[in-house]
Amino acid sequence: MCKIFGKSILFGGETMRFKKLLLVSLLMLMLSFSFAAEKTTLYYTTLFHSGDAQAMEKIVQRINQESDDIFVVLVQGAWENYYAQLINQVVAGNAPQVGVVHSNMFPSMRDALTPLNASSAGNLLEKSGFKREDFLTDVWDSSTFDDLHYGIPLDTHMWAMWYNKDIFVKAGLDPDKPPTNAEELKYAAEKIKDAGYYAVHFAEDGVARKLMRAWYILYWQQGGELFDENYSKATFNNEKGIKALQYLVDSVQKWGWNTKGTDGFKQFASGQLGILFAGNWYYYSAEEAKINYGVAKVPTIFDKPATWGNSHNLVIPKQAANNPQMYEQAIELIRRITDLSYMWGMFGGHIPAYNNSRTSSELLNAPVWEKSLNVFSQMAEEGYLHYPPNHVKAAELEDAIQVYVQQAYNGTITPSEALKRAEAECNRILSEN
Amino acid sequence: MKKAVRDQWSGMLFALPFMIIWGVFTLWPVISGFIISLHNWDPLRGSEFIGFGNYKYLFSSQRFWNAFVNTFEFALIMIPMTLILALLFAFYLYFSKGKAKAFVESALFFPYLLNVSIISLIWKWLFDPDFGLITESLKMIGITNPPQFLNNPIWVIPAIALASSWWLMGYRMTIFRAALESQPVEIVEAATIDGANKRQIMFKILFPLIRPQFLFATVLTVISGFDVLGQVMIMTEGGPGRSSEVLALLLYKEAFSYFRMGRAAAIGFILFVIIFIFTLIALRFMGKDVQQ
Repeated sequence: MCKIFGKSILFGGETMRFKKLLLVSLLMLMLSFSFAAEKTTLYYTTLFHSGDAQAMEKIVQRINQESDDIFVVLVQGAWENYYAQLINQVVAGNAPQVGVVHSNMFPSMRDALTPLNASSAGNLLEKSGFKREDFLTDVWDSSTFDDLHYGIPLDTHMWAMWYNKDIFVKAGLDPDKPPTNAEELKYAAEKIKDAGYYAVHFAEDGVARKLMRAWYILYWQQGGELFDENYSKATFNNEKGIKALQYLVDSVQKWGWNTKGTDGFKQFASGQLGILFAGNWYYYSAEEAKINYGVAKVPTIFDKPATWGNSHNLVIPKQAANNPQMYEQAIELIRRITDLSYMWGMFGGHIPAYNNSRTSSELLNAPVWEKSLNVFSQMAEEGYLHYPPNHVKAAELEDAIQVYVQQAYNGTITPSEALKRAEAECNRILSEN
Repeated sequence: MKKAVRDQWSGMLFALPFMIIWGVFTLWPVISGFIISLHNWDPLRGSEFIGFGNYKYLFSSQRFWNAFVNTFEFALIMIPMTLILALLFAFYLYFSKGKAKAFVESALFFPYLLNVSIISLIWKWLFDPDFGLITESLKMIGITNPPQFLNNPIWVIPAIALASSWWLMGYRMTIFRAALESQPVEIVEAATIDGANKRQIMFKILFPLIRPQFLFATVLTVISGFDVLGQVMIMTEGGPGRSSEVLALLLYKEAFSYFRMGRAAAIGFILFVIIFIFTLIALRFMGKDVQQ
């Protein structure tokens, strides 16, 4: 009885404690609401997914923790539809305050974006202290059109050469001396092939647009340009273009360094591939695969160094309400993301475009810097980076190129036939209204 | 007011909530899509009415006709494959007395519970030239150089159709199973006593009885066949070259990659007409007896 009574007392005490706890929680919740009420909610949408999305989430969480004036709602993913959605949001008058745009997408997207140096709230670049010289200047310049500047560079990302050090050792190669030119690459590839491995994959997972990027690199290394300055016609169907494509085709059809249709990511992660051309985003996959790998600059196979790359830029989509304060808060959010962009390097594996972030001790002491990013950063500073076509019809033009590059790679058509067809289709696209 | 007229009005009132929702979410988008297809649609810079310009462009475009042919090739393989396999498995389960019946039925239905992305990734892996189960199995049975199913212009569409059938068949099979189980067993017993074999029972007696359900499944599968997008996008992105670029993928690229909403809407409207015609054909040839 007493025991039962005792239990009842205890239960009653727990109820009391629970009620107190509930009261305190409610009070805290109300307080947090009152604080939140003072904060302005800003919407920030990105096209990031997987590891990139997680890295950006870390940055935004940190901003939300440290900010007493703004609260950021982050919406990520759906990269396939991102740009079309962003345009629709602007048209519907419901655009996020901050978004992300690739450098080569500015010509298509600029009508939906606020020129940061000529916004309705004035020159936002001056107000927030953003200066060209504080960033990788090539990346900064990629968002300037007719003296209007549309984006603050977040990063640059590009392809480099990833190689399996264990396979190098087994093939009798020095794992600390990766190939730097065509002869060394050929020597290494033949050695790796003789050791029973896939030698080289030039194009990440091998889908058509990646094969096209591999061809771009080989073409740019000869000083080739894809289109004339005004984008009035394609300029790649020439000796250099054919030579570049022939090299890519020969790597599978003649030299047997790999097989057409294969996925280089999977081959490398399973320890079956010696050399892979891939972007900086491969870092976390390579780490997870527990491969003893190294990262080196893309070898100069032809005349001069070059690699494929692109950049993410932070932008302010056109806002429905002409509210100067909203623009000022949006640029302030961009400022805070930029200041924390060393985290973008640490957790996303990208090269921050902001000099202070790229040279911050946090990033320089992070494992990702030592294992891969320092190489990418050197390539960025040494002018390796080449952007894909930046034209309003870029996606359509690239589509026209990639299908024929893939067919040549597969051996269905010859390299000269591939470029002839790609040129004809590109010229038709450019001639249309 | 006469009773007949009153009944007609009350019937219409009952149907009104559905009609409003159908009108707003189905009829209007179709009309709106058609209107967009008559424009060089650019909401940012201003749209321009071009009449049937988008249709003219498409009908003179080699790429459109390539996608048109690919769509028909996919539909002509996938639709019969799905329906025939579903029907055969439904008959098998109907006559089966084994203990594994429930397991087999669950296993066949299970893929339908999965998202198209998962289905596509599974089959992409199965067909992988280095690590794929199908590729490895073919090598094990002595085919030393099996085709790269997803990287071969001849094999790519049948391969995607096979993956799609595996995904969609389970639901159709369940429809047929339910229809078969609802038939009186006396019919089968009488036929058996009269000396009919299983094949005759299946195709001369049971199949005519489940024709309404077969018609329903056919209409569903025709729509899935011509609307195919997710599988192609994930498994091949339309490649190799443009060997598997179907109309829905071309529509998607026009809209979301090239921002040509007018042209995309025109493809959408053409797809709508194709599906509408094939649904009418199915209803005409299979639905005739059903209505009687």
